[in-house]
Amino acid sequence: MGKRILVVDDSASVRTVAGIALREAGYEVLEAANGQEGLSRLNGERIHLVISDVNMPVLDGIGFLKEIKKHPSYKFTPVIMLTTEAGEDKKAEGRAAGAKAWIVKPFQPKVLLDAVSKLCMA
Amino acid sequence: MDHAALLRSSPPAGDVTDEQSALNSAALQSVPIWARQIDTARRQTEDAIVALTSRFAGTVNRLEKMLGQDSRSSSQQAKEASRENESDLTLVVDALKAIQKSRDELATDIRTLAGYTDELRKMASDVESIAFQTNMLALNAAIEAAHAGTAGQGFAVVAHEVRNLSTAARDTGKRIAQKVGAVSEALVKIGSSSERLSERDQKAVKASEDRIQSVLGRFAANAARLEHVAEESRTQSAQIKGEIGEALVQLQFQDRVGQILTQVVSTMNDVRTAKGAQEHMQKMLGSYTTEEQRRNHQGLAAEDVAPQEVTFF
Repeated sequence: MGKRILVVDDSASVRTVAGIALREAGYEVLEAANGQEGLSRLNGERIHLVISDVNMPVLDGIGFLKEIKKHPSYKFTPVIMLTTEAGEDKKAEGRAAGAKAWIVKPFQPKVLLDAVSKLCMA
Repeated sequence: MDHAALLRSSPPAGDVTDEQSALNSAALQSVPIWARQIDTARRQTEDAIVALTSRFAGTVNRLEKMLGQDSRSSSQQAKEASRENESDLTLVVDALKAIQKSRDELATDIRTLAGYTDELRKMASDVESIAFQTNMLALNAAIEAAHAGTAGQGFAVVAHEVRNLSTAARDTGKRIAQKVGAVSEALVKIGSSSERLSERDQKAVKASEDRIQSVLGRFAANAARLEHVAEESRTQSAQIKGEIGEALVQLQFQDRVGQILTQVVSTMNDVRTAKGAQEHMQKMLGSYTTEEQRRNHQGLAAEDVAPQEVTFF
C-alpha cells in the first residue's frame, strides 16, 4: 500500500487536482475541506504527510498546523502549505508553526509531487 | 509592501458635500445588493468549476483505465492467436505432405511390382518352350518305340504320357503368360492412376499451403492494423489526458477568484458598519490573501500569477 496523504483545502477543484496527481503517483489520499475537518480525518489514522491550504473557513491552515504539532502522534508529520499567499510574512508564520514547505497556487502537479516525494523520504 | 505604505497610497477622504452625501446614500444602499450579486456569481462559478473539475477527473480516470492493460493485451492476444494459428496450420500442411509422401512411395512400389511381371512373362514363355521341346522329345520317343515293335510297346505308352504332360505344361505356360499379362496391364493402369493422383495431391497440397499462407498473411496484417490502431488510440488518449491535466491546473484560478470575491463581499458588507475610511482601509488591507489584491489596492496592474517553485524550510 502507498503512503497516505491528507489534503486539506476548501477548494474542491484544488483537492481534485492534487488528488489526481497524488493517486497517479501511487499515494493514498484523504481529503478535508477545512482545518477542523482535517483534524477529524486524522483521528488516529496513520498519515505520512499533510498538504494544507492557509485561508480556509472554520479553522485556517496555520491554526490547523499548530493543532497538528500539538498532537503527539502527528507532531513529526511533515506539512506542506499550498496557498495563494506568497508574502514572506505569511511564509515566516507557516515556518514558525512547523511547516516543512510552502507552495504558491496555482501549482504544477510535478512541483507538488517532487516536494511530497522529498519530504516522504526524509 | 507593508500595510503603512499601502495605506499611504489609498485615496484621501475629502469634505462631505450634499452631492457626496446623496452619492454616499446611494452607494450604501447599493453595496449590500452588489455584495449579494457578487457572492451569487462567486458561488455559481465555484459550483460550475467544481462540477467541471469532477467531470475532468472522471474523464482522466476513465482514460487511465483505458490506457492500462486492455488495449495492449487485446493486440497481444491477436499476435499470440496469429502465432498459434500459424503453428496449427503448419501441422495441417505437414500432415498433408506426409499423406502425399505415402502415396508417392506406393506408386514407386507399384512400379517395382510392374517390373517383376516382365520376368514372370519370360518365365511363362520358358515353360512353354520347355513343354514344346518335351513334346518333340516324346514324339521322337514314340517313333523309336514303334521301330522297336513289340519290345517298344511299353515305352510307347510312356512316350504318350510324356506328350500329354508336355501339352498340359504348354497350356499352363500359356495361361500363366495370359495372367501375367493381365496383372501387368492392371499394374500399369494402377501406376498411371497413382501418378495422376500423386500429381493432383501435390497440386492440392501446394494450393492449400498457398491459401493458408495467404490467410495467415491477412490475419497478421489485421493484427498489425489492430496494434497500430491500439497504439494510435493509446497515444491520443495519453495526449488528451495530458491536456485535461493541464486544463485542471488552469482551473485552479477558481480558488484565487473565489478568495478575491469573498474578500470583496466581506469588505462591502463591512462598509455599512465602518467607523471611518482609515479604519475600513486598514481592515481591507489585512484581509487580502493574494498579491494581485494588494497590487489592485495600490492601483497597480495585477500581473498574471504563474506556477512557482516550492520553498522548503
